[in-house]
Amino acid sequence: MIQQSNNSETLEELELGLHLLREFKTSQNKTHDNGIFIEPPATESSVEDYIDAFKNLANQAALNECYSDLYDACLLIEDVLRQLSPDEFAVARVNLFSSLNDWSLSSSEIIECAEVDNETATTHQDSALPLTLITDYITTIEQLAELVNKEGYSGLYSLNLLIIDTLHELSQSTIAVTTDLPSLLDNWCRECNAYRQNSLDAIDNIISILRHPDLNLPFDEDDFTTFNTLLVEEIGSQDNVEQAVDTVFDNTPDELDTLTTVADDDNDIAEPLSAMAQELVELLDTEAGLINYRFLAISFDEPVDSRKEHLQLASEELDRLTNAATMVGFAGLAATCTQVNANIALYLQHIDSFRLTNHELLIQWISEVKAYLLAFSKNGAGKQLLAQMSNPNWIQRLTPEASANLLPLMQVKGLNDESAETDSRETVATDANISLALPDDVNKELLDLLLQELPVYMQQFSEAIQRLQSGNGSSKDIDVAQRIAHTIKGSANTVGIKGIAVLTHQIEDILMACAKARKQPNAALMNTLINASDCLEAMCESLLGLGEPPNDARETLQEVLDWANEIAKNGIQDTPDFIKPTTSSANTTVAQHREPDSSQSPKETTTEPTESAQVAMVRVPTNQIENLFKLSSESIILNGQIYERQRRLKNQLQAMEAQFTLLQQLGAELEQLIDLKDLSGRSLVNTGKDFDALEMDQYNELHTASRRMVEASVDAREISVDMKKELDTMNEVLEYQQRLVINTQEAVMQTRFVPVGSISLRLQRGLRQTCRLTGKQGELKLTGEELLIDGDTLSALVEPLMHLLRNAIDHGLEPEEERVAVGKPLVGQIAIEFDREGNSILVRCRDDGRGLDFPAIRQTAQQNGHFKVGEAITEDELKQLILRPNFSTRSQSTQTSGRGVGMDVVNFQVLSLGGSLSLHSVWGQGLTVELRIPLPLSRSHALLANAGPYKVAISSKGLTQILYSGAGDIKIISNEQVLIIGDDIYPVVKLEDLLRVNDRRKEERYHGAILLVQNADKITAVLVDAITDSREVVIKSLGYYMRKIHGFVGATILGDGSITPVLDIPELLRAPRPAKTSHTAIEEETQYFSSLQTILVVDDSLSQRRALEQILTDAGFRVHTARDGIEAVEWLAHSKPLVVVTDLEMPRMNGLELASHIRTQERLKTLPIIMITSRSTEKHRLMADEAGIDFYLVKPVQDDNLLTKIQSLIDKQHSTVEA
Amino acid sequence: MAENHLKTAKQQDTDWLSPTDALTHFLPLAAEVNTADLATHAEAVFGFRVGSLGFLVTSSTYCEVIEQLQVNPLPNVEAWFSGLINLRGDLVPVIDLQLLLGEASTDRKKRQLFAIGQGDKAMAFWIDGLPEIQHIFTQSLKQLPPLPSILQRCVSGGYFQNDQLWFNVQFDELFKTLGRQYTAEETAS
Repeated sequence: MIQQSNNSETLEELELGLHLLREFKTSQNKTHDNGIFIEPPATESSVEDYIDAFKNLANQAALNECYSDLYDACLLIEDVLRQLSPDEFAVARVNLFSSLNDWSLSSSEIIECAEVDNETATTHQDSALPLTLITDYITTIEQLAELVNKEGYSGLYSLNLLIIDTLHELSQSTIAVTTDLPSLLDNWCRECNAYRQNSLDAIDNIISILRHPDLNLPFDEDDFTTFNTLLVEEIGSQDNVEQAVDTVFDNTPDELDTLTTVADDDNDIAEPLSAMAQELVELLDTEAGLINYRFLAISFDEPVDSRKEHLQLASEELDRLTNAATMVGFAGLAATCTQVNANIALYLQHIDSFRLTNHELLIQWISEVKAYLLAFSKNGAGKQLLAQMSNPNWIQRLTPEASANLLPLMQVKGLNDESAETDSRETVATDANISLALPDDVNKELLDLLLQELPVYMQQFSEAIQRLQSGNGSSKDIDVAQRIAHTIKGSANTVGIKGIAVLTHQIEDILMACAKARKQPNAALMNTLINASDCLEAMCESLLGLGEPPNDARETLQEVLDWANEIAKNGIQDTPDFIKPTTSSANTTVAQHREPDSSQSPKETTTEPTESAQVAMVRVPTNQIENLFKLSSESIILNGQIYERQRRLKNQLQAMEAQFTLLQQLGAELEQLIDLKDLSGRSLVNTGKDFDALEMDQYNELHTASRRMVEASVDAREISVDMKKELDTMNEVLEYQQRLVINTQEAVMQTRFVPVGSISLRLQRGLRQTCRLTGKQGELKLTGEELLIDGDTLSALVEPLMHLLRNAIDHGLEPEEERVAVGKPLVGQIAIEFDREGNSILVRCRDDGRGLDFPAIRQTAQQNGHFKVGEAITEDELKQLILRPNFSTRSQSTQTSGRGVGMDVVNFQVLSLGGSLSLHSVWGQGLTVELRIPLPLSRSHALLANAGPYKVAISSKGLTQILYSGAGDIKIISNEQVLIIGDDIYPVVKLEDLLRVNDRRKEERYHGAILLVQNADKITAVLVDAITDSREVVIKSLGYYMRKIHGFVGATILGDGSITPVLDIPELLRAPRPAKTSHTAIEEETQYFSSLQTILVVDDSLSQRRALEQILTDAGFRVHTARDGIEAVEWLAHSKPLVVVTDLEMPRMNGLELASHIRTQERLKTLPIIMITSRSTEKHRLMADEAGIDFYLVKPVQDDNLLTKIQSLIDKQHSTVEA
Repeated sequence: MAENHLKTAKQQDTDWLSPTDALTHFLPLAAEVNTADLATHAEAVFGFRVGSLGFLVTSSTYCEVIEQLQVNPLPNVEAWFSGLINLRGDLVPVIDLQLLLGEASTDRKKRQLFAIGQGDKAMAFWIDGLPEIQHIFTQSLKQLPPLPSILQRCVSGGYFQNDQLWFNVQFDELFKTLGRQYTAEETAS
């Protein structure tokens, strides 16, 4: 008994010891590796081996006081082992082995161990074993649960917890555990792992385990169905969290990994690339593609300078690739890039040594880089790349030692996502980063809000940037710009417009760094910021549907990125001109906004837009506004008609009143006559004594009636007076209503008004572009930007103003050295002033250049045969000459101006807008061009008059004075009628003659009124029969087809419903002779310009067509567009443009077919053709060459580059014609 | 014949034609084309007369006959430009096609005004009689008679029926030409 009891106690002690050991192990696993490791004896080892093993363990534990529990447990077990009989040891051996194995094995082996235990338990049927076994399983499943929870399998996690709870209950219950349980739990672990590998089959097995009676789970069928659904859904959603799983894998302790499929060491890629890593590698690949493109662009047919330029560009791209590779963790690749760049630097120093073999070497290298990027993680990755770099043709080749050192760095096994996340500065601008595409699920309300805010913010932003650039800026401006960039970024991100969000994000970073360093951006950075501001502005316009997305967005973003990265890397440096990372050696074009008025403090200027930003805005379709406008016009017309009726009524009332007065008089006369009759009657007939003589009339009926009639007529007159008063009141009401409807119409009109400042950015851009092309420096100052004018008129003004700007820079401004020599500032000063003058807008474009060269104009005019040598000609006449078509003093045609399209075109455009142009020049001091453009009239004050049988309304346009006949003397001087008033003499013309109305009267008519009308610089007296009325009239157009009839502003509907034309007397005075001649002349001019200056743009993409159209129109060309080759051919059948700009791929007929067609046509075969395409391969270039394309440009194409190419083709064409 | 044609058409889907069928295959078809042609014309055409000429306008075009509206003449314009009418607030130019085409104008008191188009795109003509639905059964003329130059570009086809020449006119094109012509030629003195 004692022996038994002793035996039992010993075993219990052993159990306790092993339990302590496991507990210790579990607690240590949760924190960190305990650093203890033992070699467990084999299962069949002797008790002594086990005692040694535990002794060893105890010794290791003794080294650390934290391991005292372990030490105690080991000693206890050691003691027990010494007391065990061989049989008892045999029973306990498996358990001992399992415990020791914990200290050397991973979790999966624990399971194996458990299986061994299980077998032992089955064999030995010992009641002590299940408890330990369950504890082991609990530990294992706890670990599993923890893992699945991390992976986001919350459903599976809950089920694991359920199993753990159940196992805890089982371990505490007295119920004997069936032998099935261990295998069940093994299956559980296996199925859970299978489930983690997205196996749907595992779900059924998991559910069937849960149903197992041994677990005795309190669930019904519904619950199991729910579990099933939960698990199925969870697997489906796991795709979304794959990336998270990858991250977890990186950080999961090794022992947890063993629960997953063990990675095969021989596999090339240990783990799949995360999405982020994949993106980074793609980025490197894109950059490599760009370098490849740069290398391919190098041509040995082109001059040395061009090769050098391409090499320089490639070198810069290579720098970017080096940076990007370093950042992503491709140290080996970065090293090779540096090596190649060192070679390029040497080529650049000695460009003559750069031969075809070197070129091929570069191309080979970049293709090796691309191949390497496809397999960077494979064994031996980069070997070929390094071998290529050992080629002796490199000036600086890679030594074998260096190659050997680099090889390990080339093989990138894993990408450090964390570092990429913390330092994820973008380095390369991609198309996605400049995309203005709206997301499919865009929130319309948010988008509307953004579209309302954007223009206001952009205005403030560019003002702040321009203040900084002009040197008047302060740190406050940096703060303002940064704040706005931040706000726009946030809004753009919310709406999902990546292009704006990315650009503003980078700008914000730069500005934040400047604000932090308390430094203002230097000139180079300022240039980049100005470009970025222009680009943002264009993006904003594009979103508002006012223009196309900017072409240079990618370049601009790249520039900004380079700066942002440079600043992030090196911070803001003290030197004013720290190395600029881009090469674009653009001339610094100075552009400046209006200086704040002296009366207005700078604070006010900055706060003003903020206030306007707070006004709530509504976007309304244009046609709705037009409809409102039409309705308000109808109201005015209707009011006029009522007014007219009321006036007639009043006249009739007046007539009636006169009648009543007459009636009253007649009544009085009648009464008098009756009285007389009575008196005479009394003298003749004595009526008796009963009545007094004065009482006789009471009995005279005639007398009574006449009396009543007099009274009635008095009453009627009284009533008519009251009626007149009523009509007067009604008149007042009508007048009030008229004012109201006029105000309504004006309010509606104002919705179409835009501030002149809205075109200032476009003008500034135009100036900068021309400066770049001419190599001159100009500064543009605008005044009157706050002026509000009709949007259509303003848009129509842009083109002539662009012409004037180009002319001012190209013809006006002298070269820098000349300016310095005459003491003018280096930067040319150009000012555009906007002003309102009556119903016209006055624009003055002033430059401080050399002014008009009258001797040169005279000479050219003589050469062209405009007048004979020696003929006296005034400067005013010469000024008129330069307004004639194709008159240019420039001997050489340049891209910006000098194609004969200078003042003449501006004059033509201004005339077609109904305006006038005048020139004021002082030699050596500059030229001022003054444009006077009438604003569209919707309403005008007009005089109603008769011209022969016609009733006409004369608009107040140009009217300076109305004189009544006899105000002056009309005399005939040299067969011309003139009006003499005091010292002034005015030429006289009759309205009938202006309108060519036949005057059938032979005698000289009497003219009731004389109108003095201003036309250009001269005042003319217009004789009018009589002015019948003067009133406010609503001017209506003559319909879509009869848009413009010479001499008419439009027509109006009068109060009586009749329609009368509203005359434009100045226009009639401008073309008093039969209009046929002048109009034919204008037509000829139009045809002349359209045939000479047109460029045909052929592209199937609407946006591309529009973009090209804008660039070319702004550059002074007329543009005709076609959607594909067929359309182009149809147009070419009757027209011949200067140049054809075509896309390659188009429906129906592509660009190559179009070019081939043109080359076969006798009339067109020399027509220059430029192809713009995204295809950059040699094959396509070759095909284009064969088709006869003159220039093959790969998208994206810089505006300047395109214009230069067009100019060179035009020059070539001219020289061929001359030859 | 029609039955025969149906049969051959049916056969066409399934089998090859017999030699006889193949030889007569196109005959009935030619007759069919004629009917189809006239069917399309008979479907929706209004005809109106101006002097000696007849004009056709498809019924899908917005047009209306206007009565009792005062035509307000304008000074300094072509004789064919009769003036303007106020059509529900829109000013509509009135054209005398007879004068435009070089014929002598008939008494306007006996004529009607006929407007084509809506809103600011409306233009009105003087017409003789009222427009009628026309059923044109004849083939279109292979060659158009010599037309006044202004009409040449705007006429897409002509028919001769009931001793009357009818022209298919692209009115939009005609109005545009008139607008251009107007500014080009400007006023007659």
